[in-house]
Amino acid sequence: MTASDLGMSPDPGITGVPSGSAGLTTDNRWFQNAVFYEVVLQGYNDGNHDGIGDLRGLTEKLDYVQWLGVDCLWLLPFYKSPMRDGGYDISDFFTLHSDYGDLGDAVAFIEEAHRRGIRVIADLVMNHTSDAHPWFTESRQDRTNPRADWYVWNDDDQRWPEARVIFVDSEPSNWTFDAQRGQYYWHRFFHHQPDLNYDNPEVGEAMLNVVRYWLDIGLDGFRLDAVPYLYERDGTNGENLPETHEYLRAVRKEVDSMYPGRVLLAEANQWPADVVDYFGAGDECHMCFHFPLMPRMFMAIRREQRYPITEILAQTPAIPEGCQWGIFLRNHDELTLEMVTDEERDYMYAEYAKDPRMKRNVGIRRRLAPLIDNDRRVAELLHAMLFSLPGSPIMYYGDEIGMGDNIYLGDRDGVRTPMQWSPDRNAGFSRADFAQLYLPPLMDPVYGYQSVNVEANVRDQSSLLYWVKRMLEVRKQHPVFGVGSFEVLSSENPTALAFVRERTDTDTGERDIVMCVNNLSRFAQPVELHLGHYEGYVPHELLGRVAFPPIGELPYFVTLAPYGFYWFQLVKEEA
Amino acid sequence: MIDRTALAAALVDYLPRQRWFAGGEAEARDLSVTSVRVLREWAWPALVQVVVETRAASGGDAMAPPEPASYQVILGLRPVDSRDAFLEGKPEAIISELDIDLGRALAYDAAIDPELSVAVLQHMAPGEEVERARYLGADQSNTSVVFDERLIMKLFRRLSDGPNPDAEVTRALVEVGFPNVAEPVAEWREDNHDFALVNRFLVGGTDGFVLALLSLRDLYDRRCPPGEAGGDFAFDARRLGTVTAELHLALAKALGTAAGESAAWATDMEAQLARVRLEGIDAEQVGAVYRRLARVDDPGPAVRVHGDYHLGQVMRTDAGWFVLDFEGEPDRPLEERRRPTSPLRDVAGMVRSLHYASQVALAEWGPEVDDELVALADAWEHRNRVAFLAGYLGAENVGQVLPGDDADRRLIQAAFELDKAVYEVGYEQSHRPDWVHIPLTAVQRILETTP
Repeated sequence: MTASDLGMSPDPGITGVPSGSAGLTTDNRWFQNAVFYEVVLQGYNDGNHDGIGDLRGLTEKLDYVQWLGVDCLWLLPFYKSPMRDGGYDISDFFTLHSDYGDLGDAVAFIEEAHRRGIRVIADLVMNHTSDAHPWFTESRQDRTNPRADWYVWNDDDQRWPEARVIFVDSEPSNWTFDAQRGQYYWHRFFHHQPDLNYDNPEVGEAMLNVVRYWLDIGLDGFRLDAVPYLYERDGTNGENLPETHEYLRAVRKEVDSMYPGRVLLAEANQWPADVVDYFGAGDECHMCFHFPLMPRMFMAIRREQRYPITEILAQTPAIPEGCQWGIFLRNHDELTLEMVTDEERDYMYAEYAKDPRMKRNVGIRRRLAPLIDNDRRVAELLHAMLFSLPGSPIMYYGDEIGMGDNIYLGDRDGVRTPMQWSPDRNAGFSRADFAQLYLPPLMDPVYGYQSVNVEANVRDQSSLLYWVKRMLEVRKQHPVFGVGSFEVLSSENPTALAFVRERTDTDTGERDIVMCVNNLSRFAQPVELHLGHYEGYVPHELLGRVAFPPIGELPYFVTLAPYGFYWFQLVKEEA
Repeated sequence: MIDRTALAAALVDYLPRQRWFAGGEAEARDLSVTSVRVLREWAWPALVQVVVETRAASGGDAMAPPEPASYQVILGLRPVDSRDAFLEGKPEAIISELDIDLGRALAYDAAIDPELSVAVLQHMAPGEEVERARYLGADQSNTSVVFDERLIMKLFRRLSDGPNPDAEVTRALVEVGFPNVAEPVAEWREDNHDFALVNRFLVGGTDGFVLALLSLRDLYDRRCPPGEAGGDFAFDARRLGTVTAELHLALAKALGTAAGESAAWATDMEAQLARVRLEGIDAEQVGAVYRRLARVDDPGPAVRVHGDYHLGQVMRTDAGWFVLDFEGEPDRPLEERRRPTSPLRDVAGMVRSLHYASQVALAEWGPEVDDELVALADAWEHRNRVAFLAGYLGAENVGQVLPGDDADRRLIQAAFELDKAVYEVGYEQSHRPDWVHIPLTAVQRILETTP
């Protein structure tokens, strides 16, 4: 593999490609074994050299994405928007934001991705629109227009006092007065994002049309943003209402009948016991994010013990057949600490946010590498856990090369700086003038693009990038990582997190058993595992295929290097 | 089936080699076999429970029990030419060769035999289906076997007349709904003896002492204030304090309370003080604290306590801290172990254990120990002691088991800490003279900080 193979020459000139989705697998449950890769479109690659990343730029980098081993791209909202909330304030669901390209670019991008066997999902905001959306412009005119009750209006601002204000830093209330109509409108997020009124069946139908439109174009599904808040009811906090679940079931029914194999991924930042409701009985969302696991993985490493992780997994209920968790280390948002206890939050702040600028709302805004002091061993251990714990891993662009962040940029921009492709001008991200870039690339001595970039990683066989790629190859050979059962192994050493994934192939009847042993400590550790159940099996280390001594009657003894880990396949010894 | 005389002769040699046997060769010499029970069909491999009684200690040996003691031996019998793998490397578990009517047999402790361990479990709990047994080893008073990483069987070795306190307390705690104790699944109780107990096994649990050492190693390597170290133990210590308070409230509810008797507590402490030589410390000063304790009017209620409470008796699991092993100090007479006392006795035990943890980790660190590390050890102990007490004293309703006046509470706690440290001095003097400085330092420090 050379740098130019990865589309890093200025004009890779991808032309004359066959259309269609011949490259995709036909498995409708592909998402249970997929590796997701989240891309911030304006930050990935600039195809028209205006300083802002776009779909053409991303299309040019699909060879790289494919080479890395990604199965599905997740794009943040790319719709037309006044961009007062990173595109989550949509003013037209059927048009692309002009910075990113036009519909033709979207079609070409999706075709190119599919040709490489890569699926694409995108954010969809169902709860609200921008106040610049024509629906709202019409609705606010008076109380009798055809869209008068497409939004939630009220004469006073006293209704539903039980509903908390989510953006406490900037919004005093969930109600804002509109002088034109002379009424208050309801908004769970920013005041420029009025909530749609799902009690009006026309709204639900209009949103289904949005869903159909993009699925017809070829999207493979949606990440449903802020999904718990669709309905409001007196005497409730307006979260997770039965009516909301009912609407999601209707969306799912439409997807299943007209678009089988497409996926709905719910963003519901709640405790696992509440989140599972969004799987329904396997008839709502296909996937949900597992939010509390992520901060606990960091906490486990800092505390050098498994309990933060095993505790939350023990509290995670089983999910219906055909569903999957989405798990992640970092994403475009802050490291959310809503799903930890107060004392754990204080601890996380003390450990990971030593500079107050690193904090935002209830979280920490850092990329992976700076969070772990740029320790390569920890980066490998965290990825090894991400790729082997139950769920489909969702990686964040740039983390595969160990990119850093810029805490001096406002809001969440610090973790959305341009992808660092090469040591060339603007990190190889754009040929625009530096001053024209949407955000400056990192230039500090540790994480700056001069040293941390894809080209350097590609030239160096021992780079983090090659390591991640290799791990994804191994993971792909073992569907057990996606859909196998999960059992924590008993060991007296609290620094060890050991578990077994197991699955029997329904077609071949073959049993695949993988045992993962992780050392959360920065010191070497001995671990005794009680594997009586697997007596007579031989552990084969998955990266080098080296056979270890067979499992006997006595506890199985393994020594682990600092932050070391093993993935073993347990193979039945033939007599 | 088995000749009792031959069996007794074999056990004379076997018992003194066992960790759970409190006497020496002299006590074993005069044993008598009280009962022999065949636990399964009489065929190879055979399983037999034997209860023996030893005579009273002849005096002189402080560690020997002062009165006749009964022990349980679970005998496994296989043909003498057996070469089973489980027998290898465990000479202490082999009893002897015996002639029985099935043929010449090798007799051994059946706890090491996976097949026979399962048979013991099925004798106790016929409904439990298990596949595998894992021998955990012997403790001071019992032997444990784990089944399928799901159940743990504790075979009581030294039998008490009356209920075994572990079985009794666990039962009582479960009845009042205390959640932080391993749930009992089956028990084996016959002829006024508790022979064994089967509990749910705490999978993935870690002993509190191991966790404390983990935190200390992190601290000694980083050399930063303990609150800033990644492996800070303080919220584990605080949660442990809360669970300890909940334990005492549950014990009070389950087994009742009595009026605290500060004068009687002080008398026991004085008696222990008289037995131990405190080098470089004025015993009179210690006695003065005990005499002040004796004069406390309202020492709070007396409740049934854990009795041997330290970090090794608690286990961190995915569902928080669990408390284990309610047998009390095995060397004390049963009647004394079951007697209600101040819950501050357990509090003192845990606080002393935090001190020991910091010092054991320091000793482990070896030649790199310098003044800075010694100061860090003290800072760790202080931080976690404060956190543990905050968790304990902040627990809901804990006032119900404490004296009304906080100054009295501090005095009583200090007296129990002193008593524990004095006991430790005596223990270290006869077992680990190099460690005597740890409890001696503690005695000195408690005297300095007790107003």
